[in-house]
Amino acid sequence: MIPAAFDYERADNAEHALSLLAEHGDEAKLLAGGHSLIPLMKYRLAVPSVLIDIGRIGDLSYVNDGGDALHIGALTRHRDVETNELVRSEAPLLARATSSVGDPQVRHRGTIGGSLAHGDPASDLPSVLLAMRGSVIVTGPSGSRELAADEFFTGFLETAVGPDEMVTEIRIPKAPGAGWSFQKFNRRAQDWAIVGCSVLVDGDTCGVGLVNMDIRPVRASAVEAAVASGADAASAAESAAEGSDPTSDLNASAEYRQHLARVLTKRALEEAGKSSA
Amino acid sequence: MSVGTPTLRQDAREKVTGAATFPADLVPKDALHAKVVFSNQPHARMRSMDTAAAAGAAGVVAVLTAADVPVNEYGLTAFDQPVLVGVGSNERVGVAVDVSRWEADHVAVVIAETPEHAAAAAALIEIDWEALPVVADLTEALRDDTILHPEVGGSNTYHTLKIRKGDVEAGFADAAVTIEQTYRLPHQEHAYLQVEAATGWIDHDGRVSVETSGQWTHEDAEQIAHALDLPLDRVRVRYATIGGAFGGKEDMSLQIVMALCAVRLRDLGINRPVHCCWSREESIIGHHKRHRGVIKARLGADRRGVITAVEAEVWLDAGAYNYTSTKVLGNAHLSVAGAYLVPNARIDSHAVYTNAVPGGAFRGFGGPQGTFVAESQMNRLAEALRIDPVEIRRRNLLEDGSEGITGAIMPKGVTLRQVVDACADVASTSEPLAAAPLFSPIATLPAEAAAVRRGRGFAAGYKNVGFSFGFPERCEAEIHLHGDAEDEVPVSADIFHGGAEVGQGAHEVFCQMTAEATGVPRDRVRGHFSDTATSGDSGSASASRLTWMAGNSILGAAEEAEKAWRNGERPAVGQFCFVAPPTESLNPETGEGNPNFSYGYMAQAVEVSVDVETGHIRVDRVVSTHDVGKTINPALVKGQIEGAVVQAHGYVLSENLVVEQGRIINPRLSSYLIPGIGDIPEHVESVVMELADPLGPWGARGMAEMPYITYAPAVIAALHDATGVWFSEFPLTPSRVLATLSDDAATDSLFF
Repeated sequence: MIPAAFDYERADNAEHALSLLAEHGDEAKLLAGGHSLIPLMKYRLAVPSVLIDIGRIGDLSYVNDGGDALHIGALTRHRDVETNELVRSEAPLLARATSSVGDPQVRHRGTIGGSLAHGDPASDLPSVLLAMRGSVIVTGPSGSRELAADEFFTGFLETAVGPDEMVTEIRIPKAPGAGWSFQKFNRRAQDWAIVGCSVLVDGDTCGVGLVNMDIRPVRASAVEAAVASGADAASAAESAAEGSDPTSDLNASAEYRQHLARVLTKRALEEAGKSSA
Repeated sequence: MSVGTPTLRQDAREKVTGAATFPADLVPKDALHAKVVFSNQPHARMRSMDTAAAAGAAGVVAVLTAADVPVNEYGLTAFDQPVLVGVGSNERVGVAVDVSRWEADHVAVVIAETPEHAAAAAALIEIDWEALPVVADLTEALRDDTILHPEVGGSNTYHTLKIRKGDVEAGFADAAVTIEQTYRLPHQEHAYLQVEAATGWIDHDGRVSVETSGQWTHEDAEQIAHALDLPLDRVRVRYATIGGAFGGKEDMSLQIVMALCAVRLRDLGINRPVHCCWSREESIIGHHKRHRGVIKARLGADRRGVITAVEAEVWLDAGAYNYTSTKVLGNAHLSVAGAYLVPNARIDSHAVYTNAVPGGAFRGFGGPQGTFVAESQMNRLAEALRIDPVEIRRRNLLEDGSEGITGAIMPKGVTLRQVVDACADVASTSEPLAAAPLFSPIATLPAEAAAVRRGRGFAAGYKNVGFSFGFPERCEAEIHLHGDAEDEVPVSADIFHGGAEVGQGAHEVFCQMTAEATGVPRDRVRGHFSDTATSGDSGSASASRLTWMAGNSILGAAEEAEKAWRNGERPAVGQFCFVAPPTESLNPETGEGNPNFSYGYMAQAVEVSVDVETGHIRVDRVVSTHDVGKTINPALVKGQIEGAVVQAHGYVLSENLVVEQGRIINPRLSSYLIPGIGDIPEHVESVVMELADPLGPWGARGMAEMPYITYAPAVIAALHDATGVWFSEFPLTPSRVLATLSDDAATDSLFF
């Protein structure tokens, strides 16, 4: 329950962080809000020998209007996302999901970039990125590249971010009039989701992201296809667990998680249908 | 007047400011640190243990093993547990000390300069174990293939209680309806905020001293004295601020081993205190739980719902050692027929050894298990006869002059009818339920009106106040009254009392009662508590007994002090030992006897919303009704009611201790889920009645366990009302609820 010893470096800006990453290589981990990494270190699932603290890089905390999309700095704290007027009007699904992350203490420390870069299938925000078909700007020594949500999450706690790269920005396409819903089921209020579901319905297109239904954050492609072909919420949701591979643990069996995925997806599609402009 | 007013509890300021010192805060500057090494063996015989590497490790001062313990046995009601499991016979001990029967049996104590040194050295201890068959649960234990305590007898079923009342066959023959059901009850972890911690040292008078948290200083001292072969007056136990107990600190955890450390350090010429604090994981693995068990029950009644016969067989999983199991079993035995007139009964209750975590004291002390079955049976009976659940109880309730289940006339002041009526009235149980309110945003799910069912449940019961079955029940108090010789009345008072403040507010109540009894204003009463060096034996903080027993001891001490005051003594000292009316152990064949001298009575009505697509349950409203006889402090009474309801809420809904092959699989609060602020009932209405107990101080009854006891059956009844499905086991985890709902043919069409 006590992390292994590590060295600590504080980055003054993104360039500094990247040069520290280049210097320490695989041994280093970036520390933002610390709400994903520190628990892993306490369980010794992560044993970095160097922590590079990027939490004080002020210019990576912002929500900008990028025209078709919102541009959100990687170090923007959950609290600043959930209360941001631009987010609330242009991407209310993101605001709602963010407001259900942990508790107020967590949301005042944790960051959107940190949460996504962690690649945890049990986290809420990856499902939003998938449903809204957002993207992640990743910056490395040779510049920046933009990764679509579907390319970003590669495995259990693994993303496409290279060892010498860092997440610098999240882009969320604006969806002001779209229908949306965020559903989360947990054993205990404010705990991690047993299963969660983000849905965005915009005209004929539909995005469905699931929480905790596989080793990585996944999209319910079969549901999206069913909706696109005109299925109603109840019948589309029947395929919500198709192809999924959730874990069984003390809180829920895989079968129960698959059942929840169908129920939550049905409810989310229905609610999104009602909220659609 | 002090009694009856919500005075600020004496420890309020220090607790909210963080100034209060719990045992883990009290690490003396020069303290050594101890690591208690668990066997990690649910059942194995030790062939040998090599501590040489540990003893030679950096920072290590000493490694203590079984050979260091003078009388290597302990236990509150039977000496059936070694202090340290190890090789080498100990002729003065009845139990085989080389056998580990529990994963948390202690095998050694490493004393070192720092906790890190102690932990590192502990890992170097090498033990050669001979594996023995693990008796995992009741089913395996009842086969008696492996006998865990041959010194106790030839069966793992080591203690049986009986009730034979009237003619059971005739009773069932007369019944128009018979309800027959088997119920399974889960473990529960106490989950007190403050884990076990203690400091051992030799005090200025040379006494072997331990400062810790517990529930009965004098009993702790007796256990230490026995195991260390010391005269009782050479042992001192005092309590720091206690962060919760709930029965979980009734038995020994660190008391004996820390005293042992103090003695051995003294023998080595080392004059330093020694401290130990368990981790949460060590706490959960290392102390007893509420008993899990199986109860088979049969209830017969005539067409009007009047009980004609009760039959029950109770098995409690005592785990590896008795702890207080035989006494807990007694309470389950007394409560399994409910607080009703039962003309014919046959009840057999058994305590059974297994290699699981021991069962022991936990708020309600067997009452929750027995009452869950009694009240579930009564609710099923009401449904079968289509009689209102409140009305059917009115037709069966015990009253003043009634003969209880053990044949004795109930102690005077049976007020269950008034309590049931008041609860039904406040909860408007005869009115239809309102439509489901929206699920609150914090509690998991938004409203889905089509999937939400609402239901209401009712349960009532009783719980004894004080020790039962002939156990000596006494409580000492000492009061000093101060003032000048010419003063008519004392200007200030000191109360010396052993009763433990486990968070319930006992010490404030003692001060209030002292003020009331002496006429000294509350703010001129000073309390001196929970130190065997300064206070007499109070008995434990358990069995809803402290207010009742301490109040009577304080009344007696005040009277004695008053006499001394009138004789001109300054300070005027009054000492008193209150002895409660005698109780009796039950006749071994018939169960006849008068087991208790006082009871508290309670009834609860509960309203729930159930999401039948996910199995999620929310409790919307609880009306918790209690005859407390006389409220000493209304704020503390309300605190006890709400706290007990929340604790019972976890028991019935979320807390799921998984014990497999003698090992606790989820010894963490991240996987053993106690309710959080977003999960507890939305509204708890405390209905407090003051119908005096004729023997209680100012008429008070005990009340701390009662709000816990009826909650589970009330929730189960509400769940049935909502879904049409009866549950005979819990916790009601969403997946269990969903699976049970979908298994039930009657509900198939409704939900899937």
